[in-house]
Amino acid sequence: MIAMVDCNSFYASCEQVFRPDLWGKPVVVLSNNDGCIIAANKEAKAMTHIAMFEPMFKIKDQLIKNKVTFFSSNYTLYGEMSQRVMNILETFSPSIEVYSIDEAFIDLTGIVHTPLKEYATRIKDTVVLHTGVPVGVGIASTKVLAKLANKISKKVEKFNYVCVIDTDEKRIKALKWAQTKDVWGLGKKHQARLKKIGVFTAYEFTQLPLAWVRKEMTVVGERLWRELRGESCIEFRNMPKSKKAIGTSKSFGKKLEDLPRIEEACAYYISEVAEVLRAQKSCATYIQVFVTTNRYSDTDKQYSNSCTITISVPTNNTFILTQQARKALQRIYKPGYRYKKVGVNLTGLIPQEYVQGNLFESPTLYDKRLMNVIDALNHKFGKATVGSALVGTRVAQWELVKKDRSKRYTTQWDELLELKNK
Amino acid sequence: MEYLETGKIKNQAPKHKASVSKQTGFPSPATHYMEPSIDLNKELVVHKDATFYVRVSGDGWSEFSILDRDVLIIDKALSPKAGNLVLIVQQGIFKVIHFPVSNRGTSFTVWGSITYIIHCSL
Repeated sequence: MIAMVDCNSFYASCEQVFRPDLWGKPVVVLSNNDGCIIAANKEAKAMTHIAMFEPMFKIKDQLIKNKVTFFSSNYTLYGEMSQRVMNILETFSPSIEVYSIDEAFIDLTGIVHTPLKEYATRIKDTVVLHTGVPVGVGIASTKVLAKLANKISKKVEKFNYVCVIDTDEKRIKALKWAQTKDVWGLGKKHQARLKKIGVFTAYEFTQLPLAWVRKEMTVVGERLWRELRGESCIEFRNMPKSKKAIGTSKSFGKKLEDLPRIEEACAYYISEVAEVLRAQKSCATYIQVFVTTNRYSDTDKQYSNSCTITISVPTNNTFILTQQARKALQRIYKPGYRYKKVGVNLTGLIPQEYVQGNLFESPTLYDKRLMNVIDALNHKFGKATVGSALVGTRVAQWELVKKDRSKRYTTQWDELLELKNK
Repeated sequence: MEYLETGKIKNQAPKHKASVSKQTGFPSPATHYMEPSIDLNKELVVHKDATFYVRVSGDGWSEFSILDRDVLIIDKALSPKAGNLVLIVQQGIFKVIHFPVSNRGTSFTVWGSITYIIHCSL
């Protein structure tokens, strides 16, 4: 059996752990640059009269009027709380698959000493007791069913965040409850396609002939069909798969016109992605850089472009990548525009031990030890303590806005939660 | 079983092993007596993933020997026994109390048990 554990409104819950004055009250978390809402807790979601997906500047007054508390995203805090939750889950089974920042599959094979419902309840209670973050637990024989059980555990009140599908009777009941949109991995296009032929519930989907599903929805649909019928075909992955591409792009805090500052932002992003690249022991073959102006502005001249460079010997060396990215940026930068964003993508990732040199350059041309030292220093003394000088010292001038970010309670000694008493 | 190491909070490896002396002259008489040095993380933190540090502002809790600017180590995993110092939440506000023998008549949520009070005397 497989358990799917999913934190309830994770980002908002992390904030609320340290703010008991907000317990039971509406809380939302904003995207990078405070552009729009990316997470809302149950209480905030219940305020259906607020268009939560509109840009922040349109709904800010409404949020304030309705006493909704909003936070800039604090990924340092969410990352650490996530790690704590996952560490706790690891005590329940030697085999867990961290699926995203706030959800994980747990392989329960061999857990025979405790009834599943009791085990699931224990998982739920332990996580919230230890971290303050509430979770829902769904257990079933396949991943897709476990995911569905998880959804039911949260949506149907009487389950109280624990749902076990361990008999065929319960499975069919769950399938009849679920709309096609409730099935994990069933996209909008397929939902519409199924609706056309009169299929609305997951149960009806599983009653379709396999040949039709395979023909119309490819092997992906077939896998869902089988999984929903209790036949496991999505493998369990203990090890996260290496990323095939790594990229980052963030809007600037304010529009930038001059090249030097955009270069600094670009170099900063390169140092971020290069670090991820080294952590997964890969090297990049191609580097893409793109710039764009603000599409939503009626008054600005519009321009966007991108440039991809092939690196002669794939690398994860920050300095070489920075150099190449700068070359690419200089090729696409045009003066006279107000740029909103620069982004970098590293693709063609290969394991670092398979890097091939060429006639003129050896794959070991650049010393790995320097990068090791840089990574170690930044790990010990904080992000971007040392790096390429091209990053400069004007980060504050282009860095994104995090006006309402909470403190980094768990990682910074001078940002601890402060308890005021009189 | 191995998990991705990225972003994982790792315990520091103890630096001291009972190793062969590197002195060239007389062997160190301490060779077989080396031990890892004291690690406060190990001594003061029982449940790493359930432990939080908070700072106190104000002298309102001096009756519990908790003074202004002290740092409290809070363990959320412990179930408090009568008399233990606990950080609680009552009507949305943090308070410190001795955990009562019976909590009839009072309603509060335990945020965590206070295991240590760190007071800087400099």
